[in-house]
Amino acid sequence: MLNHIHRFIFFITLITLSLSSHSIEVIEILGGKASQIPIAITPFNEEIRTMGQVTDKKNADLQKMHKVIANDLERSGLFTSLDTSGISTIPDSDILINFSNWSALQAQFLVVGKIITIQNRLITRWSLIDIYKEKTVLSMEFSGSKKQYRGIAHKISDLIYKKLTGSPGVFHTRITFVKKKSEKIYGLYVADYDGFNQRAIVNSSQPILSARWSPDGEKIAYVSFEKKKPVIYVQDLNTGKRVLVANFKGNNSAPAWSPDSKKLAIVLTYSANSQIYIINSDGSGIKQLMRTRSINTEPAWSPDGKEIFFSSDRGGNPQIYKVNVDGVSDVNRVTFEGKSNLSPSLSPDGKLLLFLTQDNGKFRVAVQNLLSNQVLKLTKGPHDESPVFSPNGHMVLFTYKDYGKTTKIGTVSINGLKVTPLRVGSEAIQESSWGPITSN
Amino acid sequence: MKKSLLLAMLMATMVVGCSSTDMKESMGLNAPFPELTSQTAELSAAAIDELASNPLLSERSVYFKFNSYNVESQYSDMLAAHAEFISKHNVAVAINGNADFRGSHEYNLSLGQKRSVAVSDSLSGLGIGSNNVETVSYGEENANQECTGSACDQDRRADIVYVGE
Repeated sequence: MLNHIHRFIFFITLITLSLSSHSIEVIEILGGKASQIPIAITPFNEEIRTMGQVTDKKNADLQKMHKVIANDLERSGLFTSLDTSGISTIPDSDILINFSNWSALQAQFLVVGKIITIQNRLITRWSLIDIYKEKTVLSMEFSGSKKQYRGIAHKISDLIYKKLTGSPGVFHTRITFVKKKSEKIYGLYVADYDGFNQRAIVNSSQPILSARWSPDGEKIAYVSFEKKKPVIYVQDLNTGKRVLVANFKGNNSAPAWSPDSKKLAIVLTYSANSQIYIINSDGSGIKQLMRTRSINTEPAWSPDGKEIFFSSDRGGNPQIYKVNVDGVSDVNRVTFEGKSNLSPSLSPDGKLLLFLTQDNGKFRVAVQNLLSNQVLKLTKGPHDESPVFSPNGHMVLFTYKDYGKTTKIGTVSINGLKVTPLRVGSEAIQESSWGPITSN
Repeated sequence: MKKSLLLAMLMATMVVGCSSTDMKESMGLNAPFPELTSQTAELSAAAIDELASNPLLSERSVYFKFNSYNVESQYSDMLAAHAEFISKHNVAVAINGNADFRGSHEYNLSLGQKRSVAVSDSLSGLGIGSNNVETVSYGEENANQECTGSACDQDRRADIVYVGE
């Protein structure tokens, strides 16, 4: 009960903070399960035109377009998509909508659409309709090749999301993850944010760790053991070419991009135990951030580029601390609850800390409001890891593992209400990273 | 008050004054791993025989408790034997640190390193210098990812590996 109220207050504060600069048509979020916007997304009817004839044969993929949209919005945790399978007549445009029928179904919004296919091309005409206000909110047309149907669906989801929440959608973005196929086969993969369209960008017989997408979207930094010890590469996503940016004596690991993509915070064990350094992202220059007898690792930059958060065992068990990037400053402890706290990262607005907390022996993903220091545990464990924010801060990508089982990957919405797996294969998945919002 | 400020400023200038090239070279940039420095000898046939025939020398692993990097006293004889061997033959040794899978990969890399350093420190206490010892961590990368309970114990260890074996 108290947990529910905590969640409500936490989430309201979060949404209020992120929506305060946005506009008029924003829906008020009420709290708890009642906060999810009920939306009905009806199947998009396909009309095939071939040389002027209309045929019966429909494309199985295109029949899934509405499901891609429904899955996107559901995954965000802010929407409940209603089951429309029982409805006999599905509208395919915003003309002649029976508002009272949809209202009876408890739908607050309705998405309808139509797909016209001509050989390899498709045209989608769709509308977002407000059932309470009985009016069309958005109405658009997109075209592309049939193969692009998922990308077009994601674009529609982004537009609906932006319109109804005021925040940019992330359904068009991409992620990376490492697949461990066997003891001797590792791959670093790039995929759509929902796990589809995966392709390997690195294949190795040795472990790959800590893949991190640069904020400008151009490069991936990662740790590879191919030289029989951990070293750091930066690989260009467009050309596939890579540069060895750190190969000092000892371990080289934990690359973290500065917000302007120009620098990397890295961890070296040159001086025996793990310490944090800053280098330019091309490998030039080097500056030691600080030095203690303890472990200092897992650096993460604040979005304003002024502070670095990191984990350290200077107090006994690992906790999260922060320090200024420039000049001499005090190191301040940030986490106080829980036996150990690891893997820090910051939300895009800098207000939330995302991390891993050890709670009764279980590793769980948690967020802490950096103003109030209130902590909300988002996942259950027992072996959750590698949490990273989506670029709008509304979802978290993480890996999870049950006792004795293989590691999988999934998302959890920032309100904690929706955990959804990513289906990327049966092999063990570790180390996830989320790419930026792109403007195309 | 003023004196310590002046001192701090001076120290800051000294730190800034070091060129990053100097720093990088002294930090072993792009050095091969493991480094066989000119000050150590390769493993001779006799040394290899000794490694095979001495039971203490065939013990290569120090095991640790969860989240710990403390080298327990049960390993004293074994470490003493290795120290004697290293000193006698002046060979190079790598100490590979490991952790079980619980916790993050990066933190476990650091923990594995701490275990490696702890064993290196024990050898140092027995007179073995840093010319002969290189520390590296594999973190949880060699660990059994699906172990439960005490089956995970064996992953928390530092291994002694002679260069050229």
